[in-house]
Amino acid sequence: MGLEIDNLWRIEIFGHEFWITETIVNTWFIMLFLIIVAIIARIKLRKFKEVPSGFQNAIEAVIEIFENFVKSTVGEKLSYIAPWFFMVFMLLLWSALFSIFGLRPPTADWATTFAMAFVSLVLMFYMGFKHRKGDYLKEFFEPHYIFFPMNLIGELAKPVSLSFRLFGNMLSGTIIITLYYALTPMLVQVGIPSILHAFFDVIIGALQTYIFVILSLMYVKTAAE
Amino acid sequence: MLNMVSLLAQTAPDGRVFGLDLQTFFTSGLQLLNGIILSVILYWLLYKPVKLFLQNRAERIQNKLTESEAVMAKGNELIAEYDNKLQEIDNERIEILEAARLAAEEEGKTIIEAARKEAQELKARSMESISKEKARLKEESRLYIIELASLMAEKYITQNIDDETQNKIFEETLAKLEDTQWQN
Repeated sequence: MGLEIDNLWRIEIFGHEFWITETIVNTWFIMLFLIIVAIIARIKLRKFKEVPSGFQNAIEAVIEIFENFVKSTVGEKLSYIAPWFFMVFMLLLWSALFSIFGLRPPTADWATTFAMAFVSLVLMFYMGFKHRKGDYLKEFFEPHYIFFPMNLIGELAKPVSLSFRLFGNMLSGTIIITLYYALTPMLVQVGIPSILHAFFDVIIGALQTYIFVILSLMYVKTAAE
Repeated sequence: MLNMVSLLAQTAPDGRVFGLDLQTFFTSGLQLLNGIILSVILYWLLYKPVKLFLQNRAERIQNKLTESEAVMAKGNELIAEYDNKLQEIDNERIEILEAARLAAEEEGKTIIEAARKEAQELKARSMESISKEKARLKEESRLYIIELASLMAEKYITQNIDDETQNKIFEETLAKLEDTQWQN
């Protein structure tokens, strides 16, 4: 795992040269993992029992806890957005967790965090217009229409800050861990890094995932109500 | 959209940590696409079926709870009904016992009365029998005495008096005995 995001394959679109980066490939790897888990869960679902245990317990707990979390945050009315944020939660969390195994977290690339935050922005506008219609638009011109640019920037800044917060946290962990591996002798590269991984990948990763998702939900809720 | 996609085995340029250019927005777009695909797959494979399973199970449990409550209510009604029946049976038992006690008391009184009557009758019969026996014994004694006296008198008379004197004495004695018997 390096500091920089490696370019892996080159493609050309409309005469422009683009690169399939390490971020994208790592995302595909995490997607593959999540899809395999989902397929296993889907197969095992046929044999799910009334009283859960083991794998069934874990799957039920994840879905139920997340569903309740979304409902308690945005309310029953907006809970239909839960599946998108479930994916966001899983992708961001497993991005952080897979970095334990040396996979550069896709969230340490601003392109990933921006993509996720961009959807939150779109959802904010969509829910605002859907549930409050003219009132939502009116909010941009309050207390006076000259405040419109500032209000608009304020709204646009939300997903940008959201994306940079997650990106910054994940990148800082990646930098610290990479520097540790680069600057320390081989002798101390066994055992001790587990503490760094536990802190930056597991604790910070999970915490930032939670913050990203709950802030996105709050932004959507605020826009819709 | 894609007019040419080529995978080249050439050396890739150096990577970077952050940049605001087309490559970043290309990556963002691809990540967005990845996110949408993953979201759809996770929704159809995992989220929706598990949520449905949980909802169905919650409904089943709720139905069972409702059924249990109905059964419980019915059970409570039956308990109340049986309690009432038991109370009625208890009251009836007390009434029957009371009636039996009264009947037994009445019958006891009747039996005692009958026994008393029978005892009195028995006593009266015994007294009568005793009186008769007493009279009979008295009569037998009297006859025996008479017989004995007669024998003695006969012996004496045989030895001392004649037939005329004997008849006179007999008449006097007979008259005396008749007086005595009349007095008894």
